[in-house]
Amino acid sequence: MRKLRPLVYPIILMIVTVIFAALLWRGVLPDLILVVNIDLGNLVFIGGAVTMAAWIVLIVLWNRELTHSVNRVQYEAADEKRRFLRRLDHELKNPIMAIRAGLANLEGISSGEVQNQALSSVEAQTLRLSRLSSDLRKLSELEMRPLEKSAVDINEMLNEAFNLARDQPNANDRELKLTLPQAPWPLPVIQGDRDLLFLVVHNLLDNAIKYTSAGNRIEVRAFEDGSTLVMEVADTGQGIPDDELCHIGEELYRGRGARGIPGNGLGLALVRSIIQRHGGQTIIRSRAAQGTVVTLRLPVHSQYK
Amino acid sequence: MGLKPKILLVDDETAITANLSPVLERAGFEVAVAAEGEEALRKVRATSPDLLILDVLMPIMDGREVLRHMRADGNWTPVILLTQVGDSIERAMALEEGADDYLNKPFDPHELIARIKAVLRRARPGQPPLTAGALLACQGLVIDRRSKRVRLNDQEITLTPKALVLLEYLMTHPDELLSRERLLDVVWGWDYPVETRAIDTRIAELRRVLNDDPNLPVFIETVSGQGYRFIGGVRIQDAHS
Repeated sequence: MRKLRPLVYPIILMIVTVIFAALLWRGVLPDLILVVNIDLGNLVFIGGAVTMAAWIVLIVLWNRELTHSVNRVQYEAADEKRRFLRRLDHELKNPIMAIRAGLANLEGISSGEVQNQALSSVEAQTLRLSRLSSDLRKLSELEMRPLEKSAVDINEMLNEAFNLARDQPNANDRELKLTLPQAPWPLPVIQGDRDLLFLVVHNLLDNAIKYTSAGNRIEVRAFEDGSTLVMEVADTGQGIPDDELCHIGEELYRGRGARGIPGNGLGLALVRSIIQRHGGQTIIRSRAAQGTVVTLRLPVHSQYK
Repeated sequence: MGLKPKILLVDDETAITANLSPVLERAGFEVAVAAEGEEALRKVRATSPDLLILDVLMPIMDGREVLRHMRADGNWTPVILLTQVGDSIERAMALEEGADDYLNKPFDPHELIARIKAVLRRARPGQPPLTAGALLACQGLVIDRRSKRVRLNDQEITLTPKALVLLEYLMTHPDELLSRERLLDVVWGWDYPVETRAIDTRIAELRRVLNDDPNLPVFIETVSGQGYRFIGGVRIQDAHS
């Protein structure tokens, strides 16, 4: 809707101009002249002048609206960049601080279990940093690398991702369910990069397991909706509060509920990026304390059905 | 090679060389360090090391340039490149410019030791490594690494880009046990969930196209639970033959 707003003024004015011209043409105006007691030449002149002035005002307004929206886009991009850098700084600071603390701890002790503890904590933090750098690279590479598209058997891909998730040690006390349609026909074959689509479902299931606890349900389902393939990963976990929902999927964003849970806030950004590269959409709905559902919509090209 | 193999470690980050050297020494290597490209070339000529570990991103003369200078001089000392960017073009270039292997930073130091050992085992003193060959042949299988074409018994075969990258890596590293992790790193350049079948499906594709029976393989052998190994003998083929 926002994009259409600059068009509103010219459309209104166009209509006014057309009505004015139509009145003139249909000869309604001479009757009006009798009422307001003004001659036809003057009326046409005044009407024309008013329309002209309105057009000028309109063009000025329109221009301002356009510059304004360009500025707004620029401002939003700059703002997003600032937020990203702040989060990156934060994401780097903690492991580095932990490493420095661990090393300081090592200086004071010579051997034994305390030393081993300090060493393994330093190692864990460096692994966290390695993962962060690897994920950042994934994101930047995804924007550049051409997709390697082939026919992807969604049934088989979802089954593999689902079975992998179910075998995770944290998953065995969750109730996991996979629903795939068979009637009237199974899911269509999609043209896409299978490895990347697998990564999408893998990330979503990983999140679902991370943000649920024992006894919660996790459902994976997919269906075909005409020209669209819809895949959903839903859970009855802790959910995302309303005020955080709009930031979910921004690079490095982590909600309050993510504190203490491993991750760096790049998983969903990666999901969005991959789905977008496939010409699809990622929609996240969530209610705090009730759960989350991520819906992926991917175009199905009829020739590949 | 009764003596300890001599390794020249080239990186401008002293924090890295200072920590990696003792690790490599403990693994049984003799280690010398150079902080930039010119120094590296001088030390290569003066001390003729058995292997170079070359960082790509260095000021003044970078790792690629050092490598090009060496190869242009006909120096075939094995080189492992430490690449910074994981993108596929950079990885492919690393092998095309005559490096024997490469690792993406940041890497596990133990992986570097494993790479060094594998490269030293494969190296034939004074001779170009397979990675320097434009045409590699193994029985009826010929891969043209410049034009990215593969022929099997004089028939051109088509492979998906990732399967091609995988075949090229397997053929430039024959007789080497390559873990799934390593192969995922080769194909993707960043950590991909290891438990997946991503590599297995590519291997299956290669076997199907190459008519290679997994039970009686001529080219690719499965090392159960560990990874894959290219078992055919690979040689560099002249462009005219």
